[in-house]
Amino acid sequence: MLCNRNEHLSRRALLKGTLATTAGGLVMNWGGLQNAVLAEQLKREKKHCILLWMNGGVSQFETLDMKPGRSTGGLFRPINTNVAGTQICELMPKMARMTDKIAIIRSMKTSEVDHPGGIYLMHTGYRPSANVRFPEMGAVIAKYQGQDSADLPNFVKVSSQGDAGAGFLGPKYQPFGIGSEGGLPPFSVSNIESPIEAKRHALRSFVEDGFVAYRKSEVARMHRESYEAARRLQSARGSFNIDSEWEKNRELYGDTAFGRRCLLARRLVESGVPFIEVGQSSYDSHADNFSWHKGLVPPMEHAWAGLLTDLEQRGLLSKTLVVWTGEIGRTPSVNNRAGRDHYVRSWSTALAGCGIKGGLVYGESDADGIDVKSNPVSEGDFFATIYSALSIDPKLENLAGVRPVPLAPFGSKVVGELMG
Amino acid sequence: MMKPTLRYQLVFEGAWPMAVTFLETPRRVAAGNQLGQIFVWDLPDSPSEEPAGGKANKKREAPNVAPSRRLDGHTNAISRLAFDREHQRLVSASFDHSIRVWSLDGEPAGQAEAVLDGDPRKEEAKKTRKDDALNQPGVNVSTFLAKKILEEHPDWVHSLALSRDGQRAVSGDASANVIVWDLEAGKPLAKWKGHAWNWIVATAFAPNGESVLVSEFRYKRDDFDIPCAGFKLWGVDGTEKLDILKTQFPKLNPNDNSYGGGQVWRGWTKDGLVAVAFSPDGKLIAAGQGGETETGKVHLLDAETGKFVRDVSGHQYGITDVAFFSDGQRLATAGRDTCIRIIQVEDGKELAVMGTPRGGQFKDWISSISISADEKWIAGADISGHVAIWQIAE
Repeated sequence: MLCNRNEHLSRRALLKGTLATTAGGLVMNWGGLQNAVLAEQLKREKKHCILLWMNGGVSQFETLDMKPGRSTGGLFRPINTNVAGTQICELMPKMARMTDKIAIIRSMKTSEVDHPGGIYLMHTGYRPSANVRFPEMGAVIAKYQGQDSADLPNFVKVSSQGDAGAGFLGPKYQPFGIGSEGGLPPFSVSNIESPIEAKRHALRSFVEDGFVAYRKSEVARMHRESYEAARRLQSARGSFNIDSEWEKNRELYGDTAFGRRCLLARRLVESGVPFIEVGQSSYDSHADNFSWHKGLVPPMEHAWAGLLTDLEQRGLLSKTLVVWTGEIGRTPSVNNRAGRDHYVRSWSTALAGCGIKGGLVYGESDADGIDVKSNPVSEGDFFATIYSALSIDPKLENLAGVRPVPLAPFGSKVVGELMG
Repeated sequence: MMKPTLRYQLVFEGAWPMAVTFLETPRRVAAGNQLGQIFVWDLPDSPSEEPAGGKANKKREAPNVAPSRRLDGHTNAISRLAFDREHQRLVSASFDHSIRVWSLDGEPAGQAEAVLDGDPRKEEAKKTRKDDALNQPGVNVSTFLAKKILEEHPDWVHSLALSRDGQRAVSGDASANVIVWDLEAGKPLAKWKGHAWNWIVATAFAPNGESVLVSEFRYKRDDFDIPCAGFKLWGVDGTEKLDILKTQFPKLNPNDNSYGGGQVWRGWTKDGLVAVAFSPDGKLIAAGQGGETETGKVHLLDAETGKFVRDVSGHQYGITDVAFFSDGQRLATAGRDTCIRIIQVEDGKELAVMGTPRGGQFKDWISSISISADEKWIAGADISGHVAIWQIAE
C-alpha cells in the first residue's frame, strides 16, 4: 500500500522532535515526541475547522432526518435536495441546494443525554471524568494545525458553549472567547497610547526575563506567552471587524446574528485561524418544539449555506472542515407541550469540506427514528473522523499527567466512507 | 362565584386538539387536531354514562360521546376554527397553508371508521402484550369535504377571525402575510405584510367591520436575536391605523432585535400576544401573553387610542385563547395551566375557574376555547387528548 507524503516523518522533523523532547526533559514521552514532530508537519498543511454548534440539541426530525407520515414525524414536510433521493426539512431550502456539499450522518449514537455531559462529550469526544481534563477539539486542532507565532488566536469560540477548554493540553491552547455579537470584548483593546504601551512591554519583558532566568516555572512562561499573544492580537484586530464586509454579504449569510458570526468565522479562516466555533442557542425545545425550530432553523441554515458557498468561492472549502452538531438529538415522541425532549439513541450531524464526500448520507435510523438501523457512529467515531479529515491521527497520544490519552477514545474508528 | 359543571369530555387523542368551536347549536361542536383532522360531535341532551368509541380513559370525569362527522382535506395542523352563524358555515385555518370553508348541511362524501382513543388502546396492548385492543373497531363517522379552499398563503396559517356579519375573514401566516377575504367569493379583498421576519400569530375583526387587529411575533432566531413584535390596528384595506405597541413604547424601533431596545417590548408581549379579541361594543381589546411565560396576563387596551387599561386574568405558563361574552362584562381565558377562567372585565375579578392545574411546566394545556351562542356552555380543547364541555349556566 502506498502511503502519502504526510504519513512519513521527514528527517528534519524527526531531529527537531528529538531535540524538543530532550530539551523539555520529557523522558519516556513517546507521545510527546511523536506529537512535536507531527505537529510541525501538520501546521504546514494549514487546515481549518469551523464548528457550527447547535446549543441545546437541535432536532434531527426538524432538520436532516425527517419521518414523514409517521407518528413521530411532526409538523414539517420534507423537501427534495440537489442530491437525488435525499430529502431534508422544508425549513432548510438553502441547504437543500447545498446538500451535494455535505455528508449527513443519520446514525449518531452517543452516551451523554443531558446538556452538561453532552456539551462536554461533543466538544472533547470523551465523557466527563473526575480524573482527566480532556481538551476540546478546538484545542487539539489549535495544537496540531495552529501557528505558535500567529497574531490571531488559534482557537476562537464565538457565542458558544463548553468549558472544557484546553484541558490537559495546557493554557497555551485555551479558547479565545467572543460574545454573541461577534466583536472583540472591550478589554481586548488597550487604552494606552502605543509608545507608552511599548515602553511598558519592554519593562515587563525585562522583569520577566530576569524572573524566568532563575526559575524553571511553566506558569511564568505561560503568563508571558499570554501577554505576547494579546499584544499580537492588537495588530490583527481588524479581522474581527466584519462591518466593512457585512453589507455585501448580508444576503449571502442572512441578516441575523448567526449569519454575522459565520461571516466572521470565514474571515478568521482566511486570516489563518485553524479552529473557530460558532454557536447558535436555544434548541432545547421541551415545549413548542415546532415553533422554536421554525424560528431558529431558517436563519441557521441560511448562514450555513452562505458559509459553505463563501468558503467554496474563495477556494477555502477544500481545506476547511465545517462540522454541524449539537450536544444531543431530540426524542421521536412529541410530549404534551408540543415539545421534544433529549435523545441520544439516534440522531444526526453533518460534515462538509476538507475532503469530506459531499452528497452522502451515512447511516440510517429506523422508520420512527427510535434507534439506529445501520452504521452507528459513536462520539469517538465522530471525533476520529473529524481529526482524520484534518490530517490529524486520532490515535496520537498526549499525556494527562503520566497517562497517555489518545485524541479520540480507544476503539474509535474513522468513518472512512465519508472521506472523498 | 359561578360553579361550572363538566358535562362531557370528548375523547380526541393521539395528535392533540388545537382548535374548537361551537357550531349552530350548543349541542354541536367541532374540533381540529395536529394531523389536520376535524371532527364534529352531536351531543345528546342527557349524556349517556356509557362511553362511546372504545374504552373510556379512567381519568375522564365526564361521559364521552362519539363524533358523528369528520371533515376531510387538511393535511397539517388545524390552527383555528371559526363558525359563521349568519351563513351557517365553518371556516378552518391550517398549517397546510390553506383555509377551508365547510357547509354542514350538505350530503356526506362517504363513511369512515375513526379511532380517537388511541392512548388507552396502546396502554391496554402494552399491559396485555396483545394487539387486540389496537385492532378493535373505531367509531363510524360520515365524511365531508370542504366547499371552498382558499390557498393564497405560502406558509402556515396561524390566525383566523371572521367579521361579525360572516362575510369576511382575516387570516395571517408565518411569512408575515395578512389577507382579508371575501368568504362568499373565496377571493382576497386585501393583502399586506407585517415585519418580514415575523409570524402573524393572532388576528381579530373589529365589531364594526372597519378594522382588524394584527399581532406579530416570531420565536427567537438565537438567544439574543429576537425580532421586534408587532401589534397594530389596520384598516381592512391594509392601511395602518394605530401602532398599539408603539403607544406603549414610544421609542420603539421595529428594526430592533433584542440586542437593542427589544427587551422593553419583550416584557410586555412575552412570547407574543397570541390571543386577541375585541369587546362586543368595540371599545376594548383583550390581548393575551403567550408562550412559556411565568404567568401570562391579558392586557385590556382602549381600542380607540391603544392605551393600556388594565391587566386581567393570569395563566401560569401563558395564555392560549380569549373570548368576550356578548355583554362585554365577562371575558373567558384559557392557558397552559390547563384551566379556563371567566373574568369580570371591570375589575378583573375571577368569576369561575374550570379545571385545575395539572402540575409542573411540562404538562399539557388548553389550546382553544369557544362560548356557545346561548352562552351557557364553554368548550375547551385540551391537548392531553380531549375536548371538555362545561355548563356555566342553567
